[in-house]
Parts: sequence; structure tokens; C-alpha cells
Amino acid sequence: MAIRQPEEILGQKKRIRMLIAGYPGIGKTTLALSAPRPLHIDCDFGLDRVEARYRVPFIQPQSYDELLADLVPENLRDFETLVFDTGGQLLTLMSLWAMKKDPKYGQRDGTLSLKGYGFVGKEFMRLMDYCFYELKKHIVMVFHAVEEKDGDNTRLRIKVEGQTKNNVWEPMDLGGFMEIHGNDRVIGFSNCERYFAKGTRGIKGTLKIPELGPDKPNDFLTRLFEQYNHQTEEEVRMAEAQKAAYETVMKKGQAIIKKIKDAETANKALEEMRQIEHVLTSRQELRHAFNVKVNSLNLVFDRETKQYTAPQEG
Amino acid sequence: MRLLLTHSLLSSWLWAIRDNPYEDMTTDRDSFQDFLKALSREPTETTPAMQDGIDFEQLVTDIMFELADPSHKWFEAAQQVYQIVRKGSLLQYSTSKVVTVAGKELLLYGRLDALRAGTIYDIKFSRSYERGKYYSSTQHPMYFELVPEAQRFVYVVSNGSEVWTEAYDREDTPSIIPVIEDFLRWLERHGLLETYEAKWQAK
Repeated sequence: MAIRQPEEILGQKKRIRMLIAGYPGIGKTTLALSAPRPLHIDCDFGLDRVEARYRVPFIQPQSYDELLADLVPENLRDFETLVFDTGGQLLTLMSLWAMKKDPKYGQRDGTLSLKGYGFVGKEFMRLMDYCFYELKKHIVMVFHAVEEKDGDNTRLRIKVEGQTKNNVWEPMDLGGFMEIHGNDRVIGFSNCERYFAKGTRGIKGTLKIPELGPDKPNDFLTRLFEQYNHQTEEEVRMAEAQKAAYETVMKKGQAIIKKIKDAETANKALEEMRQIEHVLTSRQELRHAFNVKVNSLNLVFDRETKQYTAPQEG
Repeated sequence: MRLLLTHSLLSSWLWAIRDNPYEDMTTDRDSFQDFLKALSREPTETTPAMQDGIDFEQLVTDIMFELADPSHKWFEAAQQVYQIVRKGSLLQYSTSKVVTVAGKELLLYGRLDALRAGTIYDIKFSRSYERGKYYSSTQHPMYFELVPEAQRFVYVVSNGSEVWTEAYDREDTPSIIPVIEDFLRWLERHGLLETYEAKWQAK
């Protein structure tokens, strides 16, 4: 494997992993299909609920084995995005596959055992990594949302059993909850009392999903992904510059600290440390390293003279 | 007089008033009693959940110093946590900051599990973790106040077998100061300010 540098991301279109959640019937699938050149992986067999003009090429796997057999490079040359609809049903197929593979992953009532949940969680991550890193596709994962009471608040959560619901968020770059606000359909990417979403690279807050019509293409996510990539380039440029400045300051500070041997060199180092222009948390980190060094030499700081002195004999 | 204030005390107070919405102080709910104990700096009993957290953090520390037993039931998860947190060159870093809120001089104090390049990491052990669990926590707003240069706060959460991360950015995190102001006013309204002033004097 070749080790690559963060700046190599510049000029490349990053593939994006996104989660969309919302109530049934709110238009999640149509929104998901607005991603660039999508393959609709219709695990729910709900294609007929999508308006005919927004339908795209699809597969309807009846088992997880069948899905894995379909997801090979030669089948996917014409597609940029894999839309899993719904993620909940994908996990159901995965669970059945796991229990068939090894009975210890299941319980007598047909549900997953604790070990089974762990196994399915890992397989979900493996599938996401495969689609993203090997097949090099965007991923859009559609989930139904459910309301859960939390004290006085009602929160929206993705409809997934067990701890897998935490795992599915881990690889995602973006995650939005769809809701109706007035007459508009919106998708929210910022955390709030109602839900915990995932927004990065300037994709945040609540975005209005445009009305579709005969002369309006279904391309909301295609445009959103372009915006994300544009922001990524900007952010990487800025972050790289900041990181380089931080590393330079840290190296400089560490070199100063390394020279401390006694009270005299500590005082000289203290003066040099004061001249440093800090970046990010270098001030705290270097100050701590400095204190560790002078303490290891048992040097004493005189608050009046503001100088280090050698330890008293005896 | 300067008073010490930690995220744990604020958290204990918020937990107590959330469970006691009428604020009538007649309830004998544990969370309220726990807060009164914390305010009086009385030792509280270590619950099994707290002990799990302590043990898990210790295991991560042991891994760091190559002292951990690889056959430990949480070893793999703790190792994953270590892989994330080791990026923090500064470990177990205590920091403080003086602020004046509602006319009181306070010494905010916190202990960071790890800090590096503008990111604070905090290790959590939770058997019932659900994403978004720390959204209302006072910890990241408090720590952002303590470390003004930090831009990101990452909770690294494990249940002993799996590991998740929950990140908060400074720009999306509200200031802790209004919460502290509410806390002080609430103490005053309920006649508990004297207890706080007596028990939480900063050295």
C-alpha cells in the first residue's frame, strides 16, 4: 500500500458516504436517487413508490449473498453511487445471512444474539469499506426514522435494532434527517434537540429540498456532493497550512526544551519559549513538556525573580 | 473569594434539575440527593457504571505503558481507543481558567484525557451508548472554555467490545457561561449558594 499525503486529495473528487433518515413516505428514496449516476439497491422492494420519471436502474436482492454477487466491478461501471434502500432492510438481509452462516449468531426466536449483532456490525463496516475504497462509489444509505421519548423531548432516531445503529453512523461523511417544515421538505445536518445528525465541510443547518417538476431535474444530492468536494479542497488547503505551522512550532519548541540541562539553560529556554507564536494548542502542549523537563531536573521557579534556580542541596 | 467549578458539578446539577422539573426540593430522587452530596463535597458511592469507566480508562493507560494483559475482556476495544487517543501527545492534562460570572470569580477546572493539535479527546465507557448521548453534556462546552485554542472535542466511547466517536466542533458548541450563570442564580434562589461558597473555595 502506498502511503499518501493529505494534500493529494486536492484535485480529486472525493467519494461521499451519506445517510438519509426520515418518516416513511417523505421522499427519502427520490432524494437518494438524486445522487450522481445511482444504482438503486432496492432491498425494501419499494421501487413502485417512486414516481416513474425518477426511477433509475435497480436491483432487488432477495438475500445478502445475492447482493454480494451483484456488487462486483464489472456490473457497476456505469454507476457512481450505490443507494441502499433501506439500510434497515439491508441489515435484516445481513442478519439472516449471519445466522445461516453460524447458528451462534442467532437466538431461538429468530433474532440476533449479542455476538450476532457484533458480527453484523462488523460486516456492515466491511461492506461500506468495500463499496467506498474498492468499488470507489458514493454511498447513500436510506433509513426510516422513528420517534423516541427522551424526558420532555421527542427525538428522531434511525430505525435499527441494537447497537448496530451506532455502527452505521461511523463511516458516514454526512447524515441528514428529512422533515416537513410548513409546506417544504427539508433535510437537517446539524445536531439539535430533535436529532443528532452529521454535517461536515460546510454542509450544515437545514437545507430546503427543491420541489420537483417536469422541467426540474432530480439532482439535489449531485449538487450537494459537488459543494462538499469544493469545500473539501478549500478546507484541506487551510487545514494543511495550519497543520504545517503547528508542526513547525512544535518542533521548534521541542528543540528548545531538549537543550535544558540546568537552571541557566532553563531560563534561556523560558525566554525563547516566550517568543514563540503558537498555533492551535501548541502553547498548552509545549508548556506541559517544558514543565515536565524542569521538574525532572528538580529546578525551582522563583516567583519574585521569575527565574529558575538550581535545587537546594540537602 | 475564588470558587472552584468543575464540569462534574454542573453536570450533577443539570441531571438533578432535569429529573426534578418542578424544583420543589421535596423529592427524594437519587439524582437530587447526589447533587446535594456533590455540592457539599461529601464522598459519593462508586457505582458499578463508574467503576467500569475507571477500569476501562486504566486499561487504556496500561496499554499505553505496555502493562496491559492482552487476555483482558476489554483489551481489543481499549486498544482501539488507544489508537485514536494516542494522537494526543498531551495525556491527562489538567487545566484551569479564571472567569467572572454573575459577579462571582470562578476557577474553572478540567482534566483532559488527551490533547493534540487543537483536538481534545475524552474516553467514555458506556454499556448503553446511543449516538448523540453527549449532545447536552456540559463537558465539551466547559473544556472549550478551558482551552480556547481547541477547535474540536471528540468523545471516544466504548462498551468494552465496540468503539465509537462522537465529535463536536467549537463553532457549533454554545458557550458554557450562560449555564454557569443559571447555576449560580439557581443556587441563590434555593438557598444553596452559601453551601457552594463554603465548600468550593479555590486554593
